Amino acid sequence: MTGPLLASLLPLPVALPIAGAVAAPLLARLHRQLAIIAGVVTLCGAAAILLLEAPSVFGGLVRAHYLGLWTPVHGRALGIAFAADPFGLIFALTAAVIGAVLLMYTLSELGGLGPRELGGYACLFQLVIAALIGAALTADLINLFVWFEVAALASYGLTAFFLERPIALEATFKILALTTLASFAVFLGAGLLYAANGALNYGQLHDALARHVTTPDLIALGLLVAGFATKAGLVPFHGWLADVHTATSGPVSALFSGLMYNFGIVAIGRLALQVFGLGGGAPILGLLLTVGIISALLGAIMALAQDDLKRLLAYDTISQMGILAIGLGTGTAAGTAGAVYHLVNHALFKSLLFLCAGAILHRTGLTKLPEMGGLARRMPVVAAAFVIGAASIAGIPPLNGYVSLSLIHTGLLDGHQYLPYALMLAAQVITIAALGKAAWLAFFRRRAGDYPQLEPLRPGMVAGLAGLSACCVAFGVLPQFFLGSVMAPAAASLLNPARYASGVLTGLARLPALHLAFDYVSPGELLSVVACAAAGAAAAWAYLRAREPAPVRLLRAAHTGSVNDYAAYAVAGMLAVIAVLTLAR
Amino acid sequence: MILVNYLASAALLCTGLYVLLTRRNLIKIVMGLSLMEASTYLFMVSLAYRAGSTAPVLAGPPAGKTARQLAHGNVADPVLQNFCLTAIVIGVAVTAVFLSVTVRIAQHYRTLDADRVRAMRG
Repeated sequence: MTGPLLASLLPLPVALPIAGAVAAPLLARLHRQLAIIAGVVTLCGAAAILLLEAPSVFGGLVRAHYLGLWTPVHGRALGIAFAADPFGLIFALTAAVIGAVLLMYTLSELGGLGPRELGGYACLFQLVIAALIGAALTADLINLFVWFEVAALASYGLTAFFLERPIALEATFKILALTTLASFAVFLGAGLLYAANGALNYGQLHDALARHVTTPDLIALGLLVAGFATKAGLVPFHGWLADVHTATSGPVSALFSGLMYNFGIVAIGRLALQVFGLGGGAPILGLLLTVGIISALLGAIMALAQDDLKRLLAYDTISQMGILAIGLGTGTAAGTAGAVYHLVNHALFKSLLFLCAGAILHRTGLTKLPEMGGLARRMPVVAAAFVIGAASIAGIPPLNGYVSLSLIHTGLLDGHQYLPYALMLAAQVITIAALGKAAWLAFFRRRAGDYPQLEPLRPGMVAGLAGLSACCVAFGVLPQFFLGSVMAPAAASLLNPARYASGVLTGLARLPALHLAFDYVSPGELLSVVACAAAGAAAAWAYLRAREPAPVRLLRAAHTGSVNDYAAYAVAGMLAVIAVLTLAR
Repeated sequence: MILVNYLASAALLCTGLYVLLTRRNLIKIVMGLSLMEASTYLFMVSLAYRAGSTAPVLAGPPAGKTARQLAHGNVADPVLQNFCLTAIVIGVAVTAVFLSVTVRIAQHYRTLDADRVRAMRG
């Protein structure tokens, strides 16, 4: 296919799910499950179109399409640009493919719902995916804000969808309040950046900011980073996240945690690295590193302290988002490629784990870990999937987490960031302890009585779990292929903002090739994995026997569950981010 | 003078923020967020202001002026006003969702006190 044709196809992966979303409630009237099936078809269609773009874009091209053919004149863009670069394309592809898998899983798990419910569910689900693909492909700041709001509005609906658990209402109010606050920050940031530079197109903004960065620009960057950090659930903007996951069903949690929070990280990567050209003199990388480490540690500690399985996984998501921020904050080729790799890995293993938790909830009706036990014998498929997901997060070779975590470690050591490296390893140990504790309590511990109800898994659910597990293994055993053909070009796009900018403004640009090697049997990495796993197992064992340590009790007490307090943390974080960026130039 | 606009916008933002952080009544929290939203609109429209400018409407120019003169002359920035329109539409939708959730909470918990609607903590 020719280049212009490929470029003109770019809006379709967004338009297809939106069309599916509009049609979903109507299709559900024809036949109950038709809405979901049509959703799977539109998402597969979106993935197919994105795959058409893949060979040339992952080959190092940035290709742009201007909606309404409003092409830029003399480097000034008026219309909205949609641009495929390797970084955005891999996120869009992940969203479309995993979205289709999750919808298929939903059909199997929740297919018995009524037509109204299934129609509404399919509609909201496709809107979220459309917003994620749109955010990945857009090269226009206000368009990014619109996708932020589309994802947010659809996520409110999905959070409040299953009202048989009334805590869903409480969770919805929290996500509404915090995300609305974040949307103000994003809106003000976008407006300020426009007022200061007269541009919304990423490329044009990059060119303007490359000449000089003023204080209003940095305030805008602070507002944007704080807003998208709220979407990503980074500490201290994370208050709402765990509650949402406690209340929602498995596939919705998997969609949020696996895909939607990554939106925040993708937007931060775009703005901080590509638009601001690695910060433009402001300490944005150091800020990302700091926020990332705090999130990784706090998320892991809070995960260890939970006894609700989904809440535990939710806090672990905060920890993983922190790891992604650390990877972006290294500013090195290996670290950035590791962050992109981890983005895909997180989508895979966290969806898998939340589907496992949802399957347990739907089969047994239990959410609390102390009430579970002995599930390895009773639900072997779920147990195997959970162990694969947990081992992936733990970074155990040959699973995918090992590769991405090693790359981020390499990136930190390349940049001589020894303290962040040590703290990241500490977070890793606590994460292993938390997941080890969950696996032990739910699956491998002996349980005296039998379960009052225990339904078998349906074939579609088994297929979903098996597919995601297989992807976890594939991304772990073929690191050279994925690193060389996908992640290295994505890192090249993030680290060469000028090339990305020229691609967005002229319609076509070639990124420089970035060669990254991955040493699978590096003795240092293997040693650290073994040490972390041993320390994590010991920590889990100690934690289960001892009383809760005082610092953990304090941290838990700080999560008061009050929406006022969570908003206060977020506002304080926002002010701190702006202060750091403007004062420490 | 336009400074008044910025001051009013800041005052609205601070009022809304104060309500959001200190009031426990869910309806008041929604109202606080709406105030903050209004302050962002005022801020955007003020950013679009140019002293002595005309509206950016090129059709039917006033007597003695051509559309080309208007386009090259002093007009208010339409893009920021456009943002406001977009955000107002989104804001209405968000407020509607907010209020419907609040109604459901009131029906289920028989209270609007945020402090009594916090089963999930820690």
